[in-house]
Amino acid sequence: MNQWSTLFQKELIEMWRNFKWVWVPITFILLGVSEPVSSYYLPQIIDSLGGLPEGTVIEIPPPTASEVLIQGLSQYTTIGVLIIVLSTMAIIAGERKSGVAAMILVKPVSYFSFITAKWAGGFLLLWVSLLIGSIATWYYTGILFDWIPIDLFFQSYLLYGLWLTVVLTLTVFFSASLLTPGIAGFTSLAVVFVFTLVTGPLSNWLEWSPSQLTNYANELLLSSAIPDDTLPASLLTLACIIILLWLSVFIFRKKELAS
Amino acid sequence: MSLIQINHLKKSFRGTEVIKGIDFQLDKGKCIALLGPNGAGKTTTLRMLSGLMEPTDGTIIFTDAKKGEDIRELIGYLPQFPVFYEWMSGLEFLSYAGRLAGLGRKEAKDRSLELLKLVGILEAKNRRVAKYSGGMKQRLGIAQALIHRPQLIMLDEPVSALDPIGRREVLDMLEGLKKETTILFSTHILNDAEEICDEILFLHNGKIVESGSMAELRERHQQPKIDLFFTGKSGEYAEIFSNHKLTHSISVEGNRVSVFVTNIVLARQAFLRLIAEQNLPLERFEVSSMTLEDVFMKVVGK
Repeated sequence: MNQWSTLFQKELIEMWRNFKWVWVPITFILLGVSEPVSSYYLPQIIDSLGGLPEGTVIEIPPPTASEVLIQGLSQYTTIGVLIIVLSTMAIIAGERKSGVAAMILVKPVSYFSFITAKWAGGFLLLWVSLLIGSIATWYYTGILFDWIPIDLFFQSYLLYGLWLTVVLTLTVFFSASLLTPGIAGFTSLAVVFVFTLVTGPLSNWLEWSPSQLTNYANELLLSSAIPDDTLPASLLTLACIIILLWLSVFIFRKKELAS
Repeated sequence: MSLIQINHLKKSFRGTEVIKGIDFQLDKGKCIALLGPNGAGKTTTLRMLSGLMEPTDGTIIFTDAKKGEDIRELIGYLPQFPVFYEWMSGLEFLSYAGRLAGLGRKEAKDRSLELLKLVGILEAKNRRVAKYSGGMKQRLGIAQALIHRPQLIMLDEPVSALDPIGRREVLDMLEGLKKETTILFSTHILNDAEEICDEILFLHNGKIVESGSMAELRERHQQPKIDLFFTGKSGEYAEIFSNHKLTHSISVEGNRVSVFVTNIVLARQAFLRLIAEQNLPLERFEVSSMTLEDVFMKVVGK
């Protein structure tokens, strides 16, 4: 445990020194907040761009607060995913490529601790950034549109966080099993993309798929009730995370550190 | 007293056998050089001993290791090109390594400062590793290998990348470390090995072609030799010695005549007498011992 906390602290300090603690939360705030703000000011934006031609009558129904919040949060499943993958892909592959992993692992360091401490660092960064970003989005939605009950918001935050944790763990997994950060990042994005794509049309059969969690979060915000499959989907997601993490350690241990 | 026992170690990469079954043992408190030309398999051998690589075949047994003990606790390793977290300071990296090796926070820091002093980069302790020079990184690398007071330290080409001054300092440092721990280091520089090592392992094409202490090696490969230096052309004097009954073979190079003899004691007396009788213009008379380079050429050449 002592060794694990040493490794974990190192991750936190590293993320502080390379400013991940600054730019990831800020990006999450900007991503989320831009949605309520731009929806609110859309009429003025159109005006300032020269307005609509004389005589055009287009009714733009003002979106509801839930719709705005959903739009804001769904930024995290696109650009947010990209940010998570880009900021995590080098976490193991980068250290192995540079050779510093070999310097550390000739010391009596457990491979399990080495990987899980890194994962935990990314986990903390993700959940904190997502919390700050989505609270800001919720707040601006409240000011500019309507206040969404905090418990509903919080439940959907958890569901989004859970899906993004899958993305994070997948990236850690590829970073542990592939040799270069770039390839690890690309593969992670490809897998997440394909997974989301497949789940869409097959959603009737894949009700427990982890990538459904964000849909359930959205439904939750719209209907104020937790969708039926949320619990089994969450449990399956947790299982996926644990299995992926375990596989990361297993594969990393099998690999030779020096080539 | 043996510290580590290596039996029939083999390593293949995609079917190519790089290490072809080597056996040796390292004795406690000794300084052993792993010598060999580039590509002989020195780095691969060290990586297997440090646990970074899995041997294809064979065993590595630490005599003192208790059952189930992590052998990484017993060894310190410096790779050929040490890398660090560039965003850490030297002191931070050492303390981090120490903590990972099981030292307490205070203990790790004290030991780090002690080692930074030993390797001579104490004044740079708070500088980021990114700003360190190559020589300083090498020193930091040696310090991190020593942090947990391992029983065996393995250094891969510790001085090859250093300038003459840095090389001198690191060699002196190793000389001092010999008292505390067992050292195994690889090098292709013969002088370094000859200077500080008790024992030598010659690795060539993945095999150990020769091993032993310097004295043993000399004895085994000794071809007694007398070097004679004359004023002017030495060639004309070579004849006088080439017909001598104690001469085995002779070679002339510049003003030096090297006479390989069958019996050094008799030859020395006979030659000195001969020189005096014939009043030869001798400048220097040298009973030379075989250098490591001679041994190296001999074992690698065959």
